Amino acid sequence: MTAIPGSGLLKGMKVTLKTLFTKPVTVNYPKVKEVPVPRARGVIALDQDACTVCMLCARSCPDWCIYIEGHKEEKQPDKPGGRVRVRATLDRFDIDYALCMYCGICVEVCPFDALFWTPEYEYSESTMADLMHDMDRLQDWLATVPEPPAVES
Amino acid sequence: MTIDHDQVRHLSEVAVSVELETPEMTLNIGPQHPSTHGVLRLVATVDGERVFDVKPVIGYMHRGYEKLAEVRTYPQITALINRIDWVSGYANEIPFIVAAERLMEIEVPERAQYIRLILTEMARIASHLVFNASYPLELGAATPLFFALRERERVLDLIESVTGGRFHPNFNRIGGVKPNAGGGPTQRKVSQDLPKGFFVDTRAAMERVLSVCDELEDLVAGNEIILARTKGIGVLPVDVGAAYGVSGPNLRASGVPFDLRRIEDYLPYDRFDFDVVTASNGDCWDRWWVRLEEIRQAARIVIQAIDGIPSGPLQAKVPRVIKVPQGEVYVRAENPKGEMGYHLISEGGQGPYRLKIRSASYSNISILPHILEGVLVPDIIAIMGSLDFVLGDVDR
Repeated sequence: MTAIPGSGLLKGMKVTLKTLFTKPVTVNYPKVKEVPVPRARGVIALDQDACTVCMLCARSCPDWCIYIEGHKEEKQPDKPGGRVRVRATLDRFDIDYALCMYCGICVEVCPFDALFWTPEYEYSESTMADLMHDMDRLQDWLATVPEPPAVES
Repeated sequence: MTIDHDQVRHLSEVAVSVELETPEMTLNIGPQHPSTHGVLRLVATVDGERVFDVKPVIGYMHRGYEKLAEVRTYPQITALINRIDWVSGYANEIPFIVAAERLMEIEVPERAQYIRLILTEMARIASHLVFNASYPLELGAATPLFFALRERERVLDLIESVTGGRFHPNFNRIGGVKPNAGGGPTQRKVSQDLPKGFFVDTRAAMERVLSVCDELEDLVAGNEIILARTKGIGVLPVDVGAAYGVSGPNLRASGVPFDLRRIEDYLPYDRFDFDVVTASNGDCWDRWWVRLEEIRQAARIVIQAIDGIPSGPLQAKVPRVIKVPQGEVYVRAENPKGEMGYHLISEGGQGPYRLKIRSASYSNISILPHILEGVLVPDIIAIMGSLDFVLGDVDR
């Protein structure tokens, strides 16, 4: 216990008084925005051209929030006598962000670099169903993918 | 002869209280109560202000992680177990990953082990800062919360800059560490090491953490109200604590220097110089003080680790599809809340056959009926808060 009654209280008040004259650490959110770190897991972007509909991301998702449908397209050869090539094309690539737990396993397993994390975070919706992002919306996120950060050696 | 009026009044009061019928009453606290850190329900039998019997009712937050683990693969489980004790999400991953690595007999690179250790201690700082600030809040002092959460945010920002997640890092892979958000279309080619400036920022953040510890001590340690409400309240005897399986700072506050960082070798703690903080009384105040000192010790470990971090690879060679060979292992680690252990039984598949999770908070709150017997009703909150449990850690 302290010797003089109330001296502990004064010591505490000194701390609060000191803080009264320091700059606030909070930011005034809608007007001032903090820049998230490049590795921040905000939202997943999709590169439609790179996707080969291999379904690895949908299968490894822990809560099955990725919905993929696709079909095979035959591409006629440019020159006569060439082979007919078969290419898988995306019909549907939806991520349900109401279900997503932002673990990033889909981005990690993708063997063709079609999925990327981007630190964008302002995509809240007033209804849950609107959190289902279709492939075009996911493609739009691709422009916001940041450069990888410089690393310590 | 003069009449002592005070004594007469006192005697009459005694007589009244004997005649009054004061039947026992059942008081239900929670599950929605701000001081229960989630959804814990206490059924207390009280007589006036005196508590006779307390029965904790748990299970409101049961998410079935042990069962889920049986139908998930190892990388998926790492993402799940972040959410057991969400205040220190990173520290939960370590024992599980180490258990799988022991069965696979993988040697983890030094640098990865150091990064794991740094982030584990930072998670400990974040968790203890939340406790040291929210405990005075439960007793009515709101100011410490702002100071502590300000510094906690810096620590969480650093964790995010490395792992990509503030609370759920999902950063450990079997055989090393790897963030899954590198950013940029060339993410597979670039190295995924710590971001540039991490060491400088961490050193600055640790200085700030040490100074906020002093601030918290100035704010709380001299406050007569807090001292009166915590000193000598909720004393946990050593033998009772040990019998109930209490671990972590709660047991160390009773004077037992039981720290798994010293006993187990899940991370290279033997290379660092730190003290196992113990106190002697085992009351609420000691539990608060032990955690404050542990923040200082954790900051000491982090500074030593960033000074001595070796360079090298971050990942050992592991197969692309992870299959853990048949076997059984129990790995325990010193989490901020206490001893956390994973009993992993593998039959050789891509996921475990059975994963038993031993979480610290579950054992820590099991002493509530014992420790709350005979206390006053306002002390329920003081004692319950001082045990520092998280309901996600209790129910899993």
